[in-house]
Amino acid sequence: MIKSHAHIWFIGPALVLMTVILLIPILIAMGLSVTDYSLGNMGAEFVGFENYEKIFTRSAYEKMFGATFRYVFVVVPLTVGLGLGSALLIHSLGRFGDIYKTIYFLPVMAALIAMAIVWEFAFHPTIGVINSTLERGCGTWLELWTWYAKGCERSFPLWLQDRDYAIWTVSFIGVWQGFGFNMVLYLAGLTSIPRSLYDAAEMDGAKRGWDRFRLVTWPLLGPTTVFVVTISFIRSFQVFDMVEAFYPQGGGPSKSVFVMMFAIYEKGIQQNLMGIGAAITVVFLAFVMVLTLIQRWLVERRTHYA
Amino acid sequence: MSQISLSGIHKSFGSTEVLKGVSLDIEAGEFVTLVGPSGCGKSTLLRILAGLDSADTGDVRIQAQSVTQTRAADRNLAMVFQSYALYPHLSVAENMMTPLKMRELGWAGRLPIVGPLVARRACRDIHARVEAVAETLKITPLLARKPGQLSGGQRQRVALGRAMVRDPVAFLMDEPLSNLDAALRVHMRAELSELHRRLNATFVYVTHDQAEALTMSDRMAVMMQGEILQVGPPDEIYHNPASLAVARFIGSPAINVLPGEKLADGRVVLLGQRLFNVQSGQPRALFIGLRPEHLHLAAEGRFEGMISHRENLGSDLFLHLTLKEMDNPVVIRAHPDQARNVARGHNVRFDLDPAKVLFFEADGQRVTLDGARQLEVAQ
Amino acid sequence: MTEAVADTKALALRFSTKTALTHAVLILGALIVLLPFYTMLSLSLKAPAEIMQQTGGFIGTQAPFRDDYCIKLGKEVADCMVNPIAYNYSTAFEKAPLLRYLLNGVVVTVSIFFIQVVVALPCAYALAKLRFWGREFVFTLVLFCLLIPVHAIALPLYIMLAKVGLTNTYAALIIPWTISVFGIFLMRQFFMTVPDDLIDAARMDGMSEYAIIWRVMLPTAIPALMAFGIFSVVAHWNDYFWPRIVITGNRDLFTPPLGLREFKGDADGDNFGPMMATACIIVTPLIVCFLLAQRRFIEGITLSGMK
Repeated sequence: MIKSHAHIWFIGPALVLMTVILLIPILIAMGLSVTDYSLGNMGAEFVGFENYEKIFTRSAYEKMFGATFRYVFVVVPLTVGLGLGSALLIHSLGRFGDIYKTIYFLPVMAALIAMAIVWEFAFHPTIGVINSTLERGCGTWLELWTWYAKGCERSFPLWLQDRDYAIWTVSFIGVWQGFGFNMVLYLAGLTSIPRSLYDAAEMDGAKRGWDRFRLVTWPLLGPTTVFVVTISFIRSFQVFDMVEAFYPQGGGPSKSVFVMMFAIYEKGIQQNLMGIGAAITVVFLAFVMVLTLIQRWLVERRTHYA
Repeated sequence: MSQISLSGIHKSFGSTEVLKGVSLDIEAGEFVTLVGPSGCGKSTLLRILAGLDSADTGDVRIQAQSVTQTRAADRNLAMVFQSYALYPHLSVAENMMTPLKMRELGWAGRLPIVGPLVARRACRDIHARVEAVAETLKITPLLARKPGQLSGGQRQRVALGRAMVRDPVAFLMDEPLSNLDAALRVHMRAELSELHRRLNATFVYVTHDQAEALTMSDRMAVMMQGEILQVGPPDEIYHNPASLAVARFIGSPAINVLPGEKLADGRVVLLGQRLFNVQSGQPRALFIGLRPEHLHLAAEGRFEGMISHRENLGSDLFLHLTLKEMDNPVVIRAHPDQARNVARGHNVRFDLDPAKVLFFEADGQRVTLDGARQLEVAQ
Repeated sequence: MTEAVADTKALALRFSTKTALTHAVLILGALIVLLPFYTMLSLSLKAPAEIMQQTGGFIGTQAPFRDDYCIKLGKEVADCMVNPIAYNYSTAFEKAPLLRYLLNGVVVTVSIFFIQVVVALPCAYALAKLRFWGREFVFTLVLFCLLIPVHAIALPLYIMLAKVGLTNTYAALIIPWTISVFGIFLMRQFFMTVPDDLIDAARMDGMSEYAIIWRVMLPTAIPALMAFGIFSVVAHWNDYFWPRIVITGNRDLFTPPLGLREFKGDADGDNFGPMMATACIIVTPLIVCFLLAQRRFIEGITLSGMK
């Protein structure tokens, strides 16, 4: 074999860019997170773990974690569940399912910022379509629902501007936007399940749909589920567009939608508190990496499935 | 009363008619093979019998009961799939337990962890049966493994085991050996036959490999283009095919088919040579079928051909002879000793065994010519 | 026999009610999914009064209305009567250099994809098909970098770009995305499936390693590249976070999402008609491409599902 150095030129650029764009920034973030650096200031003081301490003790950051985890733990189960549910329904329809697939995938394609603005209008307390539709239901049997009756009596929620509803409304939009993506992943998973396994299940006496689901579908979707859950986590941790569009200042009513990415943006970019921004970045990266490592581990454990 | 009875099964996929009114009766304890080229509808027929597909028209009866409206799970049949269809996430033992659990345990007993506690006796019983079957199939050491860790042959056994743990009315097998390598396939043939003898159960076996059909079955049904052409014991099918299509499909190397004719005076002529005389009558063209083993090299043989190819199998030697009169070569079996000194390009003479000659009409139907066997053999 | 027939009928009925139920559920879902698209399109067609009073159905009456801004400019009332659709869409283009934004979007997404391919393809080839010292290390590094969401390290990247004075340039929009570890990984997995014989044959034919990449590997990788391209373009056309950080103020560099955001932030933020028209214009290119080549798009987006 003749020695060739072509590979150096092939991997060189990628290696340099990887280092400069991905690895060094992590080191910088780690470095800055223990200082009070801000852009434009010459020096920066070493402050130890003060920034981290702030993050884990101050109530503003408590709200940040609260909002982030509320969002994540609503959006992940719902996008995964709805993704799986719609995939199963669509798969059972065969060819006619394609139209639904297309529709459900539309939100994934549309710029979230644009759709967020539309949703903001739809949730508008006075001229939005949501509340006006709800008002139309007043005086009907729906009033048996106390929440509904209350809404009719006084007014329906302000949704995005209401401290009690804001995070859930944002989560709803997150689910709306994200479940189509999971559906498509699940559909790919479903089509890769060999038909003969369902035949075998039938021959083995799995009569009810639920038995077949437990015996074949769910276990064979295992790897897909691991992936879908991980990617949903990572995507929902990164929620930003909507929050910035709805609440350019301050992260929502009483900071109830102060999610991590917005916190990084607000502290680092808007307030030029790079130290604390970097500390949030590091915490954020830690979350994401732990999640991905768990996924890798789960996948690895299952590889012998073949 | 036959164990399984299929009558008038029609099935179309879109505009293609896959099964054109197939009827077949299978006796208890029989090993019946459905054999035919790919696309002949044999697998569809098996799936209809299993209940995995439904026929457009026709009736499926199992033990005199019509099961046409019964779903597969309730037909009490076991099936071995071509791809084995083992559950990849379950261990071998769990795979084999599945049919028992599904049928014998309630929902509570099937729960993981809790299940064995709820239905302790049933679970122990299931374990025992699985172990007994594993013992018979010699797969006990594999019980804890996942299918992904097994070789093709081992997976095949597990698939068999999953079928055997129950006591089904019949075992259905859809090309179970086609994914194995050649040596293992030959070995498994013997083993399946042995298994059939021991279980004394009904086997319905689908294959495209005529060798499997010939070696294992009690009876075989030759299918082509959605129809059963002939049903009978392998010997019968081989030596007494009902049509040219059957004769051509069964036997390897394939039967030689030569153009012949019967003259008005009763002479039957092949390549200008009189074979024998039959009763005189209408002259007609015939196809004459001759299996390679019914041809032999003979110094004074009436036919001559040039050796275009030698196929040496060690025990047998097949010579492909090009005849002046024909486009297709004639294949003839020779004893290796006999043919040692013939080489490609040589001209050799050969003759045939007149008693074994098969006649077919121009449309492929088998005919017997009156008195052919009794009349003197012309030399 | 009659029993059997009844059975079949019951079976068919059960089948059809099940299918009908499935359709019902899916249609309900589809309505919720389509609601904002409907709202967006509808509002972009209606007059302000109709929007406020929620009248006019989907497209509104299309009766001309008085444009107050025009009146303020001191023109005749008769000259200021405008058709809602024309008003909404023309305002969208006049208020802000929307065409410029769209062009920026195209420039940025195309450059990103182009550079990603130029960087990733040779690297992927080397990782898949060349044997060299340190290959395992580089691949491990790639796997590690897959863990890093670029958005998460925006802050240090921003500082680095600010230090070299690149904020508010096209470069700032493009540079962080020039390396797609995911692209490298994806292409490497794809190249692993290309038989070595093909490459050896190319070598026997006297091709250099460079020629092999661009003349042999690239053409075989077209399907994977298409899918990756769609993935990349969708991600960066719709990206809002990063442009929001590095483009501050210089409108000439705004990408479509930034343009829309600016519209909302303006005093005109309640002028829903033109804003929705802008939203429509920004969302439409990808949606249209998606509807035209659905399968490819879904393949491309789900690519990230490959392990």
